[in-house]
Amino acid sequence: MSFLKPKTHIEQGDIVILYLSVNSMHAIEAVPTIVNKKGETIANIFQTPYGSLKVQSIIGVEYGSRVELSKGWAHVLQPNPELWTQTLPHRTQIIYTPDISMILHQLEVRPGAVIVESGTGSGSLSHYFLRALKPTGRLHTFDFHEARADQARDEFKRHGLGDFVTVYHRDVCNLGFTSELDGAADAVFLDLPAPDLAVPHAFKALKLSGGRFCSFSPCIEQSQRCINVLTKLGFNEICSMEVLQQESVIKTRSLPVIDLEFLKAPKSTERNPNDDIKSKEPKELKKYLTSSNPQVLPGHTGFLTFATLPPNIPKA
Amino acid sequence: MASIQLGDYIVIQRQKYTKLQKFGSLDATATLGKEHLELKSLLDQPYGSTFKMCVKESKVGKRGAQRQHRLELCTENELRSIRDVLNISSSGADNRDISDNGEAQALKSADIEQLREACNESSKIIEKLVENSKTFHTRTEYSQDKYLLKKEKKYFEFVQIRQPSIRLMADIFHRQDADKIMGIRVDTLSQIISYSGVSGFGSYLLYESGTNGLLPAAMLNSMGAGTEATLVHMHPGNVPQKQALLALKLPLEQQQRCISVNLYSVLREFYQGDRPEAKTEAPTEVETAAPTKEAAELVTPTDDSDTNTEEQSDNIEPSSKKVKLDESSNSTNKSGPLHWQLENKRAVALMNAKFDNLVMAAKEHPSNILQALLPLVKPSRPIVIFSTCKELLQEIYMELKTSGKVTNLHVTSNWMRMYQILPNRSHPEVNMSGNSGYLLTGYTLK
Repeated sequence: MSFLKPKTHIEQGDIVILYLSVNSMHAIEAVPTIVNKKGETIANIFQTPYGSLKVQSIIGVEYGSRVELSKGWAHVLQPNPELWTQTLPHRTQIIYTPDISMILHQLEVRPGAVIVESGTGSGSLSHYFLRALKPTGRLHTFDFHEARADQARDEFKRHGLGDFVTVYHRDVCNLGFTSELDGAADAVFLDLPAPDLAVPHAFKALKLSGGRFCSFSPCIEQSQRCINVLTKLGFNEICSMEVLQQESVIKTRSLPVIDLEFLKAPKSTERNPNDDIKSKEPKELKKYLTSSNPQVLPGHTGFLTFATLPPNIPKA
Repeated sequence: MASIQLGDYIVIQRQKYTKLQKFGSLDATATLGKEHLELKSLLDQPYGSTFKMCVKESKVGKRGAQRQHRLELCTENELRSIRDVLNISSSGADNRDISDNGEAQALKSADIEQLREACNESSKIIEKLVENSKTFHTRTEYSQDKYLLKKEKKYFEFVQIRQPSIRLMADIFHRQDADKIMGIRVDTLSQIISYSGVSGFGSYLLYESGTNGLLPAAMLNSMGAGTEATLVHMHPGNVPQKQALLALKLPLEQQQRCISVNLYSVLREFYQGDRPEAKTEAPTEVETAAPTKEAAELVTPTDDSDTNTEEQSDNIEPSSKKVKLDESSNSTNKSGPLHWQLENKRAVALMNAKFDNLVMAAKEHPSNILQALLPLVKPSRPIVIFSTCKELLQEIYMELKTSGKVTNLHVTSNWMRMYQILPNRSHPEVNMSGNSGYLLTGYTLK
């Protein structure tokens, strides 16, 4: 239930983010016992590189607290779409926060909005949509893979979001978004291999007063075909973009400053030989707070194509 | 769809150009380059309507003719593709026979001006331009398209009136003068909203020193109408910048959930309590006002250059300068507490209950502000700090890392690239914005 609203303490059944380090965090369910492969009920123990965690011990603990592991410690955080996106069980490729943020902004999602999404995939974007549109809006999310749709439905329910979402198992490219949704949506989002096939259905689903459209596709040819159909149907403000996020790696560096001036003068034999040895050693260390880009960073995620359906376009 | 009312802010769009304008009175005009538009006829028309600019009179100005236009509502779809209107059939294969000798266009600029006065329709002007162009039909189809688009942009006679939204305003503000919104680019704005977790539930804290109201408006927009979420919006000046907030025309109930308070005065009240002498004794107030003014002066240069200042001061609730005058007279009259005092009280109550996030976009050095505000945030909550330069955030990053109060620290920036996607002509756009600004994000710990 931990996705509905900000809360202070871990309750039984919450999804909790066990935060070990920037590169290591896990979403765990706060239940004291689990059923193992043999069908026996056993204590829920979660293994980490820093030892094990008795999950029962975190129930009732305040979010943001430090919890002890058998060989170290970790922090427990309340999950949100950002942390969930980094820890969720991948059933498909997912879209990440930088692209998602732009999608929410461009689709003007806010509480009360009715959003149509296809495909549901692993539900990464769905969690963001739900956060943005609850408690007064509604998400209609479609996937043609039955097991994925079922898993997502179950997940939303367990996360306390079931009241704001309808999950459909349906092939929208061929069958559309159901006639109940005709003229019902403020915005439609497509992440499909052939978005152009679903654009006419998106057109039907958008409100008569107009709405926003987005398609995410890794390849520019998909965007091109999609734009073709959008133009034919009377969409305007069509634009495509990509958003890539760069991380700055921040470190304090200490650099030795070496003195080369003494090399200009001849070595005087009269001097203490110790002096010479000393002058070769760096006398000074300069400290800098530096930032650099990582060696590898995402160079491409997908093209985001946005469009507006203007008001009062006849849909017959 | 809502209809256009007096007092509304409106977005005027002519092709890709958009502008935020206040429709303050029936004789208000809007200026688009050399064109002046009378806004009278917009009243009560639905948002999203398209209007035709009809020349009423033309005056000789410093840089060419200044034209005054009436706006006429377009009922039928008069907007057709210019290529279809002109019925262009022939085109060349390449540009080997085209040379730039300045003789391609037979019409002189005076002829074109005349043409412009004589006919209202851009398609007619462009038709004449094409007729009198010696090279048009030898241009390639793509080059013809480019030519038509360029001409259409210049002579386009339709404007669309749209209702302001965060999306449209972020775009307008950033294009017109990015400095006035502290250089917060659209991708960065969208990420501030995501990382800070603003939604219909929760109590949020924002410190912002001047974004034309864009940041509080974006947060309030994400909090939604008819929800329980609240926002304490701290600012360093006497008056918060509120243009974007006012332009959204949110329900009163929602507007009231954005509590705008002066940083100094609210922190003073938070730490020292609501002492009766602080309210009535003049010296205490002056003391409060002193740093406020300093800070306000720091910010003023950009604020004053704001073309909208006039509009703003008209519309914002009475400035605290006025309030202070009122106060001195009021305190003798012993009337009820003032608006800002009530807002301070509401804010202090929320500060005592602690917040579900912290967002900062400061023109001042962020370190001390962060130190003052961080203890007001509950554990396991997101913090997001924006800055145009990385160096400031590097320092904060180290401070926070050493303190151990915030985890999952990241400093990020973005690369955002727009694409032209057309059959056989897809490529990134020639110019792109090079500075997204930087975000420091993390989660508070107990």
